[in-house]
Amino acid sequence: MDDYQRRLYGFALRMTGNREDAEEIVQDAFVRAYRALGKMSPEQRADLRLQPWLYTITLNVTRNRLRGKRPTNVALDALADPDAILRESNEGPPQPETIVEQNTEIALVERALLQLPMHLRAAATLRFIEGRSHPEIAEILHQPIGTVKSHVHRAVRILRRILGPQIGRFSPEGVPMHALS
Amino acid sequence: MRCRDVEALWDELRGECQASLKETVGVHLRACPSCQDMYEQYEGVAYCLSCLPRPEPSCDLAKKVVQHLAALKGKVHLPIVLSAVETPLGRVYVGFKHNRIAYVSLDTGEPFGDVVERAGRRLRRDVVPGEAPVWLVRALENFFSTWTLDDAIVDISDLTPFEQAALRAAARIPPGEVRSYAWVATQIGRPRAARAVGRVMARNPLPLLFPCHRVVDSSGDLHDYFYGIEMKARLLEMEGYRR
Repeated sequence: MDDYQRRLYGFALRMTGNREDAEEIVQDAFVRAYRALGKMSPEQRADLRLQPWLYTITLNVTRNRLRGKRPTNVALDALADPDAILRESNEGPPQPETIVEQNTEIALVERALLQLPMHLRAAATLRFIEGRSHPEIAEILHQPIGTVKSHVHRAVRILRRILGPQIGRFSPEGVPMHALS
Repeated sequence: MRCRDVEALWDELRGECQASLKETVGVHLRACPSCQDMYEQYEGVAYCLSCLPRPEPSCDLAKKVVQHLAALKGKVHLPIVLSAVETPLGRVYVGFKHNRIAYVSLDTGEPFGDVVERAGRRLRRDVVPGEAPVWLVRALENFFSTWTLDDAIVDISDLTPFEQAALRAAARIPPGEVRSYAWVATQIGRPRAARAVGRVMARNPLPLLFPCHRVVDSSGDLHDYFYGIEMKARLLEMEGYRR
């Protein structure tokens, strides 16, 4: 359970940006999963793919929890001026509840991720942080694979605009930027 | 191949895909510096995301989860006892546990066994037949004389928080008056959930006590009722409702 808990906590934290929320979400998700397992037939349990199912529950709990809270979605005018978000990242007032530590590149990326609309954030987090394949993400999000690919792509496009062209200088050391160059 | 097609294929090409497609895109990239820049930037985004540290939960999270699950395991689910009680509306089947009413069903002539089964399905608990205790008969007498719910005699803890909130909001509608599904939704802070409220009312395990019959269309039409629209109109009439 430790491994699941760590993974789900990481996912919930990337989705909410708040440690307390993430911990409560994971607890709630496990309780829901436990209750749901109790109602399943042995056949349903045998067919269950546990890890994607737990991600789905965690995401649903996260959505319920964030509903009604102030959205973290980036404003359209901010997207038109990504520098505004970068400036805010460096100059904005510190927010003790966020996981973001200011003035670091990691913090900039974390902050940019939290600026995404929730559905794009979920797709990007599952794809690049959790390392899930498109079919796995489709299973977790209950979406067609085409929609998943589209959401992943839109997320990366927005992150690229937020983070600016200098993001291209980051790559694994010694590995070509992309296999096709 | 156009630049926009190449752009859309970026993530696809990171996984396993046809060698011919990779080659085609490769040819385009070698000839198109702007697409090369774009691919490098996308790759940078993906790399930065993959490098984000994996956060560790606080050390007591596992303990909290285990405690929570252990508490659930230890929770004893008593069966619901279902009794038939005579009321001004005729026979009513009432299920109770821990001296609180958890289920109500009007007698529609269906066999008692079917009512027991329906109650079990709705509450996901064992249901057993039993005699109505004195407190239950008195509580129903009191309800039918005032048409007002005493919160201390009902138990809706098996329902979801949303269902509980919607039913409690419906219970705040005074007898003889009606409100819309949208009104209930607004009362519980979910103004866009009028349809979900409608579903809760349709599955209300405690009709009469939680007066889903006082919830109607925004236009004022009675809409629908599990026991038929005539019963809804009759209940409202008994409460003194005038259109």
